[in-house]
Amino acid sequence: MSPNLLQKYSVGNFHFPIRSGVDNILVNKESILEVVQKVKEDEELLYEQLVDITATDNILSKTEYSNERYTLIYTFLSLKFNKRLFVFTNISEEDLNIDSITQIFECADWYERECYDLFGIKFKNHPNLQRLMNDYNFQGHPLRKDFPLTGYEEVRYDENLKKLCMNQLV
Amino acid sequence: MHRGTEKLIEQKTYTQAIPYFDRLDYVSPMCQEHAFAIAVEDLLNIQAPERAQYIRVMFAEVTRILNHLLNIPAFAMDIGAATPMLWAFEEREKMLEFHEAVSGARFHAAYFRPGGVHQDLPDGLLEKMKVYFENFPKFIDTLEELLTENRIFKQRSVDIGILSKEDAVRLSCSGPVLRASGVAWDLRKSQPYDVYDKVNFSIPVGKTGDTYDRYLVRMEEMRESVKIILQCINQIPTGAVMVENNKITPPKRSEMKNSMEAIIHHFKLFTEGYRVPEGITYRAVEAPKGEFGVVLVSDGSSKPYRCKLRAPGFPHLQALHFLSQGHQLADVPSILGSLDIVFGEIDR
Repeated sequence: MSPNLLQKYSVGNFHFPIRSGVDNILVNKESILEVVQKVKEDEELLYEQLVDITATDNILSKTEYSNERYTLIYTFLSLKFNKRLFVFTNISEEDLNIDSITQIFECADWYERECYDLFGIKFKNHPNLQRLMNDYNFQGHPLRKDFPLTGYEEVRYDENLKKLCMNQLV
Repeated sequence: MHRGTEKLIEQKTYTQAIPYFDRLDYVSPMCQEHAFAIAVEDLLNIQAPERAQYIRVMFAEVTRILNHLLNIPAFAMDIGAATPMLWAFEEREKMLEFHEAVSGARFHAAYFRPGGVHQDLPDGLLEKMKVYFENFPKFIDTLEELLTENRIFKQRSVDIGILSKEDAVRLSCSGPVLRASGVAWDLRKSQPYDVYDKVNFSIPVGKTGDTYDRYLVRMEEMRESVKIILQCINQIPTGAVMVENNKITPPKRSEMKNSMEAIIHHFKLFTEGYRVPEGITYRAVEAPKGEFGVVLVSDGSSKPYRCKLRAPGFPHLQALHFLSQGHQLADVPSILGSLDIVFGEIDR
């Protein structure tokens, strides 16, 4: 990890212990575009592959590793240096917006759509921010911790009506 | 077909989460259990015994051959060849018997556990596997005779869906798709897990990165897998197959007959499960389709707080849009077949 990058963008250490020796930085969500551009192009880093984007909902977490509701986790891989990098950024419940990185990594498209679908995080300037996994007209974001496991609706076939019905679950 | 696997895993103990991994990419189940097992081991700070590591590597490679034996003929069938499917399925069936011998199930094995494997190999299995895999390259030869120089097969696949090195990296491709584009990148070599650093094998790479190259890479990978399996059979030590720590792994049946403590451990493990220390980890394995990774967040309880499954097919399917540009509709089956898409892992 280039120390300059750490100092310039990192906003404090990520207190959560990270095993298997993966480099990680915690950044402000405003600087995400700048950081991603940097880790991709910096000669000492060259994290040219975006492996994954995911999020966690911290509302039930007993640990104090983040003060905000959501944490986005970007995973990068450098094929040249054989290293991985986690970029963490916290997103508050009040403002779910963050810049989309699709202009830097084209393959972020579906990852961001997945995050939007499952967590409701809104990626600004995304070319097509629609649901990816769930059904049309689906309500809510299932991987949030306050979303019940059974969901809010069930779909069943009604023998009398001879058609599919949607029922509200209480 | 989104089944909410990640949500379901959050509600289950670590042991109960394992069967979900078989159902992701349902043609290569053991490799996915492998990723979860090493991720949990990472957080628990334990290491599986050497015999278990050899067994896991061996069966991960059996799974790889199983996967390629489905993908290659399915790809061939999509572009007009029906026979390979029948031939490959006969061999698959024989290999599934090895799966069944160790785990009791042909597909949904739930065999790899954090801390080792569920049970030791049955007597005589290694000898059977040795005989089978020594003869298996002959089968690869016959399959290759059918396809590699087949004129129709080549017409439909050579120079179709070309993926350059840069594009493959940019589009987050991994596994055979990345290697066919000429990038010699294999997690078994570059970030070895379990005993992959103790076996010799080479990484086949392609030149042009077209669908034909992806086929060739998979063919060669099967030969390499056979080499790994045979080395494992020769090198495998005796000993335990599970970490002997009854806070994490269940005690032996015989122990439970005599020891009160063993019964308590057993009861605790199958009701509450084991607690995993707080932490976050990312562990990836070279699954047959590419990099399969698990982002595991633990809050110190006996259930995963968050378990994100990084499926290799997800970015590959996304790349279909890029790959099919400028091609005809008839080329799409060829491209899709060569990407090795299984939807179980994509919409999870």
